[in-house]
Amino acid sequence: MQSNYIFRSIIALGIITMASCKPEFKTITPSKGTADFSRYIAVGNSLTAGYADGGLYLEGQQNSYPEMIAAQMKAVGGGAFSSPFFTAAQANGSGYLKLTGFTASGTPTTAAVTTDLAVRDQITIPPYGNITLYTKYTGDLNNYGVPGIKLLQITSGGYANLNGYFERLLPDNSPAINTSYLSFVTAKPFTFFSCWLGNNDILLYATAGGASPTDQPTDKGTFAALYNLAISTLTASGAKGVVATIPDVLSTPYFNTVTLASLLKAVQVSAPTVNALYIQTGSGAVRAATAADYFVLPLASANLIGTPNGAGYPYGLHPLNPITSQYVLDKDEAAIVADYTDSYNATIKSVAASKGLAVMDAYALLNEYGSGKAVNGVTVSAAYITGNLFSLDGIHLTPMGYAIVANAYIKAINTQYGSSIPIVDVTKYRGVKFP
Amino acid sequence: MKKILLSFLLAVPILGYSQSFQVNLQGQKQIGMAGAGTGVALDEAAVFFNPGAVSFLKQNGVQGGISPILMRSSFRENGSNITEHNENKVPTPFQGYAVFGSPADRLRFGMGVYTPFGGDMYWKPDWTGKYTVTSLDLRSIYFQPTLSYKITDHIGIGAGLVYSQGHVDLKRAVPLTLNNGQSSTAELEGDTHDFGWNAGIYLETEVGITIGITHRSEVNANVKSGDATFNVPAALSATFPTKFTASLPLPGTSTLGLGFHPSDKTIIDFDVNWVQWSKYKNLAFNYNTNAAIPNSVSPRNYHDAATLRLGIQNQTTAKLALRAGVGYAFSPVNDGYVTPEVPDANRVLLSAGIGYKVTNRFNIDASFLYENVKKRNETNIESGLSGEFKTVAYIPGISLSYKW
Repeated sequence: MQSNYIFRSIIALGIITMASCKPEFKTITPSKGTADFSRYIAVGNSLTAGYADGGLYLEGQQNSYPEMIAAQMKAVGGGAFSSPFFTAAQANGSGYLKLTGFTASGTPTTAAVTTDLAVRDQITIPPYGNITLYTKYTGDLNNYGVPGIKLLQITSGGYANLNGYFERLLPDNSPAINTSYLSFVTAKPFTFFSCWLGNNDILLYATAGGASPTDQPTDKGTFAALYNLAISTLTASGAKGVVATIPDVLSTPYFNTVTLASLLKAVQVSAPTVNALYIQTGSGAVRAATAADYFVLPLASANLIGTPNGAGYPYGLHPLNPITSQYVLDKDEAAIVADYTDSYNATIKSVAASKGLAVMDAYALLNEYGSGKAVNGVTVSAAYITGNLFSLDGIHLTPMGYAIVANAYIKAINTQYGSSIPIVDVTKYRGVKFP
Repeated sequence: MKKILLSFLLAVPILGYSQSFQVNLQGQKQIGMAGAGTGVALDEAAVFFNPGAVSFLKQNGVQGGISPILMRSSFRENGSNITEHNENKVPTPFQGYAVFGSPADRLRFGMGVYTPFGGDMYWKPDWTGKYTVTSLDLRSIYFQPTLSYKITDHIGIGAGLVYSQGHVDLKRAVPLTLNNGQSSTAELEGDTHDFGWNAGIYLETEVGITIGITHRSEVNANVKSGDATFNVPAALSATFPTKFTASLPLPGTSTLGLGFHPSDKTIIDFDVNWVQWSKYKNLAFNYNTNAAIPNSVSPRNYHDAATLRLGIQNQTTAKLALRAGVGYAFSPVNDGYVTPEVPDANRVLLSAGIGYKVTNRFNIDASFLYENVKKRNETNIESGLSGEFKTVAYIPGISLSYKW
């Protein structure tokens, strides 16, 4: 009896031992390398704020790349990290787009989310103009991403009177604010920074089809001077950091979903003889569109093509009623975008090199993934909606896209500073939500 | 447009198996000897190991046994600090054999039921490789009626017809986000019914060495009308397929076995298996509609691979036999093609076994097999999944036999 009991115990113990004996790998020693992550701040624009689907809302903020990086930094001595979250009651923030379905021909349809917003007021402030104000955020702050900000604007004291996303981070109310973005982000000591500024200096020119007088490309010399200033200020008290280049906006779905071919195909369903579309270029000239001209994503939902004007000429199909300039980035404007982007990126890389900073090459990264790349079994690409990389606005990223960016930052930081920040699991983050 | 947009989603591999999922658990005595058994006439399991040796068995008998597999796989994505483990599911391959006819006759009959291929790999539903696979449940049962004929007192031949019945159930996540933020999922499930054969020659040489040469044929497992169940967003679900066909080569295996008999009580068997995995070029799925997704072809490009097995049995007392074995299996999977449903690599096999004659007719055999699959750091060419795999398996087993 006794020996039987012992025998059974040995068998039971053996089974438990086998069951618990999971293979393990060599432990990675956590190391911060030559950097100090105890207070990390994120400097940047909408991409840094977690903007997605044409708006800033809580889920996007929670899935911003700085939130992901900061969470991973905790493994190597990173400190607390705060983003200016909207409250749960106002979780939809500025509002955003959601996918509602597909038309019979497969064209996606979207609708704006307009409930549970954090909109405080909409006022006109002379001389700045109209501004939408959001519920103020007053807590700790590490993520300083301000949607819409250009590098050109970081030293402007009155900028918050122009941008409600910046205004909500500041204690004062518009129009009494006189705090520049650069002085605000550097007011409190920090040990590490990421800086992804400069996108809007060319992006806003491109998305407006080159047609907005207030959104012309920032002068290259001005850009270089301001970038030097920004990085000198950020590194003035010894902080280390990582900077990012400007993505190739021409490879985003915003400029590649609506094409000459797709427009012609749609027109030819009812008018098979049509074989040319007419555009108004940035110079005001009217000519037939070519494959080298880009059309912006909003043209698809504008439903203008073919609509007759007062004289009876159908929109886009006749030289006397061309597709207007704001919907077209013609090939000359596209060349300007490419030229300025290259120049800005050369500046960013050379300033980073002179300060010994890590560089996350977003231009190369998003082109690599945008052209189609398998990531843990997911083929991500720049395809609109199903590419899993870009959100519904065609410019900003999905949570999965931001996770890919976060990992590129982490790898750049680890390479430059010899740290061992672990990467995030990209597959834990979603693509575009389908109904 | 939708079709084009979706066309990449399922271009990724789905199903597979490997040396590791060639299940070599076909007899408790042989498992205790690291799976060697082709070069000797040990017991009724010769129906599987060498039909030519069946006619050399001194008694008729029937036996049945099982071998629950405790398999532990781990994965760590390169750059991550998180190690993920497979879930604890315990597949139970079984084996049953019977040998009839008069031991005095030259012609003997056998019947075998066994599970030569299978896989049970369950990762957590939200693991980092979920878009490649979350679970694979692959089972095949072979039924093999067998004839064995002793041509002379020292040469036997035998052959069996194999009827293979298979079942596959594969699950994975699909990179389309549902409205609740979760991933879509796909499940492919189907049955196969196919035929093959198993044949062998058994020789007793004058120098006392016994030799076995066998070949088990390839079986092409065809899923003719499998169920494809896609849990995808409502806006897309009408366009997704509901049925699929697929074909999976269960490779042929040639074996040379050498038996040594240093004393009346001791048997040593050395087997070399050569598995024709090179048949496994692609894994293809064809769907009943391609409105949402194209048919998929995933390259596998396996190569033929050998396994070496050395086992010893010692009849320690009249009632008690002790066994031990060691083996080495070369992986058929090339670098860049390792997939998480079969995280294969070269492996070491260590085994021990014990046999006990309760009565002259009634025997119990037990075995324990330990498989240590080498660490392998892989970046899969097709899925991009990059990280380190490590697998160990603990396989206890037991069988009962009755002889007459």
